[in-house]
Amino acid sequence: MSLSPEENSAAAACEFQQNLEILRQVRFFAGLPPEALKLLAYLCARETFRPGEHLFTQGEDDGQAFYLVSGKARLLRETNGREHEMRVFEADTFLGGISLLGSLRRLFSLAALTDVVCLVLTREKFSRVLEQFPDMMPKVLKGLVESIGAWEERFMSDAFFGADSCQQKSGVSLI
Amino acid sequence: MRASDIPVAKRSLFSWVFAYNLHLQGILLAVIIITVFARVLPLEMQKRVVNEAIKLRDVDLLMLYCGIYLVSVLVASGLKYLINILQTVIGQRALAEMRNALYHHLLTLPLSFFRKTQPGLVVASLVNELVAAGDFAGEALAVPITSLLTLLVFAAYLTWLNPILAAVSLSIYPVVLLIIPLLQKKANQANKKRVDATRQYSDIIVEAVSGIHEIQGNGSYRIENQRHDQVVENLRKIRVVWNLLRFGIKTGNNFFTNLSPFLVFILGGYLTIHGRLELGALVAFLSAQEKLYDPWKELIEFYQSYQDAIVRYRRTMEYFDAAPEYQLAPLDRAPYHLHGGLEVQNMSFATEGGIPLLQGITLSLKPGEHLALVGFSGSGKSTLALCVGQLYRYTGGHVLIDGREVAEMTKTDIINNVGFVSQSPFIFGGTIERNLLYGCEARNQAAGAHATPPLPTLDQIIEVLQQTGIFVDVLRFGLNALLSPQRDRELMDVLVRVRANFQRDFGGPLADSVEFFNAQNFLHHSSIAENLIFGTAIDPAFETPNLPHTPYFLEFMERAQLTRPLLNLGAQLARQMVDILGNLPPQDIFFRESPIQPEELDTYKQLVQRLGKQPLHELPAGDREKLLILGLRFTPGRHKTVALPGLLEKRVMAGRALFKAAVERDFPEALAFYQASAYIHSQTILNNILFGKSKSSSFQAEERINQSIVQVLIEEDLLEKIIEIGMKFDVGSKGDRLSGGQRQKVAIARAFLKNPEILIMDEATSALDNKSQARIQRLLEARFKGRTTVIAVLHRLDVVKNFDQIAVMKAGKIVELGPYEELMDRKGTFYELVTGRK
Repeated sequence: MSLSPEENSAAAACEFQQNLEILRQVRFFAGLPPEALKLLAYLCARETFRPGEHLFTQGEDDGQAFYLVSGKARLLRETNGREHEMRVFEADTFLGGISLLGSLRRLFSLAALTDVVCLVLTREKFSRVLEQFPDMMPKVLKGLVESIGAWEERFMSDAFFGADSCQQKSGVSLI
Repeated sequence: MRASDIPVAKRSLFSWVFAYNLHLQGILLAVIIITVFARVLPLEMQKRVVNEAIKLRDVDLLMLYCGIYLVSVLVASGLKYLINILQTVIGQRALAEMRNALYHHLLTLPLSFFRKTQPGLVVASLVNELVAAGDFAGEALAVPITSLLTLLVFAAYLTWLNPILAAVSLSIYPVVLLIIPLLQKKANQANKKRVDATRQYSDIIVEAVSGIHEIQGNGSYRIENQRHDQVVENLRKIRVVWNLLRFGIKTGNNFFTNLSPFLVFILGGYLTIHGRLELGALVAFLSAQEKLYDPWKELIEFYQSYQDAIVRYRRTMEYFDAAPEYQLAPLDRAPYHLHGGLEVQNMSFATEGGIPLLQGITLSLKPGEHLALVGFSGSGKSTLALCVGQLYRYTGGHVLIDGREVAEMTKTDIINNVGFVSQSPFIFGGTIERNLLYGCEARNQAAGAHATPPLPTLDQIIEVLQQTGIFVDVLRFGLNALLSPQRDRELMDVLVRVRANFQRDFGGPLADSVEFFNAQNFLHHSSIAENLIFGTAIDPAFETPNLPHTPYFLEFMERAQLTRPLLNLGAQLARQMVDILGNLPPQDIFFRESPIQPEELDTYKQLVQRLGKQPLHELPAGDREKLLILGLRFTPGRHKTVALPGLLEKRVMAGRALFKAAVERDFPEALAFYQASAYIHSQTILNNILFGKSKSSSFQAEERINQSIVQVLIEEDLLEKIIEIGMKFDVGSKGDRLSGGQRQKVAIARAFLKNPEILIMDEATSALDNKSQARIQRLLEARFKGRTTVIAVLHRLDVVKNFDQIAVMKAGKIVELGPYEELMDRKGTFYELVTGRK
């Protein structure tokens, strides 16, 4: 694209360009053709959440992926009517890519801890983009497999890993 | 027996000819007889002109005969037109009756019929194939009688003129009558094949269109093209043969009928030369004989169209010759009012192919008890529910409601007492209200004269809307509606007052969610055009879409130094959007946040190609206008592919003041500028109350605004009014302007409004969020238990606890049946399902 210097300076600041920069760095989207990435950057929405508001809720299939642009969010799990905080996510985290690929009920809730600004992409939009770029599916799957592998590798090497009950349930990467 | 008592698919083609048109056919017959005589008269006149008037050189006689000739030609033409009119009326009426009867029949056919029937076939049958039959019904009497009578009268006239000549020239026709049926038989066979091949062809098209996701997803263009091309090739071959045969019949007929003047020339010429025939008589004979040709041709064409119609008609009716599984309404009694006690005894269901889907189902529910059906998908939960609801006809055992066999009840009995919410409910085009009342209206119409509860009141509807959780959505539809200045003036005045209260109470807290209209601020969530005008057009020339063609506005833009930056902006937007969307299909989801509409994409694609070659100010006027349109549409808060240039923002703000001053001076009546004390006709109710626009369409932003708005509406007692407006919201074809959850809520509300004795819910809440699911579950427990028998097919187990009975299904059988605690204690299949362990 050729833009005159005057136009270019304006374009550099626009939200679409910022979104594009962000998506480029997300492993889940790595290797996608630039046209698809541009379309995704154009389709994803920027939303703000106030402290306490839920980005997603346990048990629901909201079919959304989030990128935290700024702010912090707590991952919560409710068991037997009690809510436990599992961990806190900081800015520049990508969450929920797997929800874009198929129906999945959330095992956790994610609640804004501070004011949160995030990019939101829905399964509906993502699958419409997939329809247009059938070649990208293998790349998405490749990214997903790598993520799962990397995740369990990290999990297995973590210091706290040792309890027998945990070992019995290892093997996410074996699914 | 009246024709309408025979099942439509078994009626003969001829039954339609007279069924609804007896007196019209009578009139037609009378007209025909007069016409035939009006046709012979000119011939006689022709003879007399030659033989008497010319021979005797009698001008008066000539005038008289010519006068009679003229009158009879006029009468004949007029009557011919009258026959055509009658024919059309009869034919179209028969076609309409045929379509109605077939459609009414179609809707009552069992679901199994539709599983093996492609929509394309039904469309083709009703739209195309029956047309030939309808046309035939119009012709059935008129054409053969007119033609035959004409033929006979002419033949008699010929015989009267000269018996020998007549015998010779008529001798051709029996030969033709022998040959044509032989050809026609072959043509009929080809036509049957053609009907079948056309059907197959429409199936293929429908399948491809409805499966386009799979085709594009798999890139299976070649496979589909091959399939299509083969069918088209087959159809082509059949059509060639069929058409050749049809034309063969026409040509053969032409040939033989043209032979007959040849015979007359030879014989008649010979006779005249030898003085045994007057010249006038020969002339008359030749003209009369020529006139034989027309009715004969009509007769042959009629024969062909009869054959075509009968083939199409039979082929179509054969296809739809299935019987409805249930009688629609009881004949000799009022519809049952049931209490909802359900007894299923050793019930089984098998497909037509004999594959058993349900076996040995036995269970029993007292009126008001609730049953949950759970199990893996494919275990037969839905099938069981559908059998109880009479949508499938069980093939063995019994289903009894209040001791009455479901299979023997009429449809009216069932719809009077049973409410049904299916897994993927169908929403009809039209308003929310229509969809909500659909079940109630159907029930009341079916009951007819028998006393039924009246349609629900607005209060009752609102209650159900709240129960099912779609209240908020309907409220939003209402808030997003535009009011009509003619009808809603009073409401507008009230809303302006509400606006002031809203500003006072919520203006502060909502400042970061709402962009309020303020003459001093640039509005990021309004378009550049709206920012400049900052008002509503009264003169159409100032309406936003017309601005770029309004010279006054264009001059103003030059003065305000806006043209150049807007052209730049437009060019930038066009380039960006074409770059992102250039090769995409026109799906709404891609274009929702684009200033270019799907149908404009091609225009802008071509424009972008020209952009690189010329500086903007040298572009042709048409191109500049297109760029200007984009620039004026630009809404910084929505169209995120381009940032708002700071310079432009300043000039727009300066321009707004300039424009207001200019218009107030030059066209004081053309615009109504936004002011806090006046309703804005071009904006929604919501924006009018806000006196601004929401900054985000996200759920949580809407939620924040909603809460405040509802509070104000309650205070002002306007909630019902807005709901009423929201119920007029048009849901789009198949309800595609509603989300999956909204569609399901509408379907649930539709069933609740019927207030049935038995409610069947087939995974009715699967598309709802947790809160809505829980709300509906609570409602079932609190309001329906003990009053309405509920059968719920469930995919989630966290809500089954409070059901009276739970049936766990596996491979078409109930493996466990009982209340929650009992099944959990048993530690069997249900326990495994709940705990997820084996």
